[in-house]
Amino acid sequence: MTNPASPAGRRYIKRFMPVMAVYVVTVLGVSWAFNSTEPTGPVAWALAAAPALPLLGIIWAMGMYLREEADEFQRNVLIESILWGLGLTMAGLSVWGFLEIYVDAPKLPTFLAFPLFCGAMGIAQAFVRRRYR
Amino acid sequence: MKNRLKVLRAERDWSQADLADRLEVSRQTINALETGKYDPSLPLAFRIARLFGQSIEAIFDDGQG
Repeated sequence: MTNPASPAGRRYIKRFMPVMAVYVVTVLGVSWAFNSTEPTGPVAWALAAAPALPLLGIIWAMGMYLREEADEFQRNVLIESILWGLGLTMAGLSVWGFLEIYVDAPKLPTFLAFPLFCGAMGIAQAFVRRRYR
Repeated sequence: MKNRLKVLRAERDWSQADLADRLEVSRQTINALETGKYDPSLPLAFRIARLFGQSIEAIFDDGQG
């Protein structure tokens, strides 16, 4: 996603990798906890929200990259890609939301918003980069 | 925006990578600048102008001059 050649890009990767590792461990741990201990009350709420924390970490790492990237063109490419990603995700989710209401389209879990955004941003970035070649 | 980056670079026999190193940006950035698809910020324009020892107006042409 970022420019791997720049120091900021390398720092992004260094932040991204451990955060994703924590994410995988957290998802597995929480899933195990709910299957084996049937937690209730505030503990259940805290456990259920736990897998989202590493994803917030990814958003933080993206923000840090934008702050630290000294190459303004690379920063610009990422900002344009993020805006396309947000626009496409919100457009898609808006349409799907009404389909859910009026024609009983399958309910889309809201946690998918961020992965959908990441996918849309990744695809958008290919087009943004091609435009500047 | 039209510019003379490619000519100035060729005069010095620098590759895009050489110029990228000197300006501390990526090679893609140099390419986007040279093709006129990306306009530099004022700070980057000043760095480019200083590197080539010319004024910004002598390198970039906004078509209004």
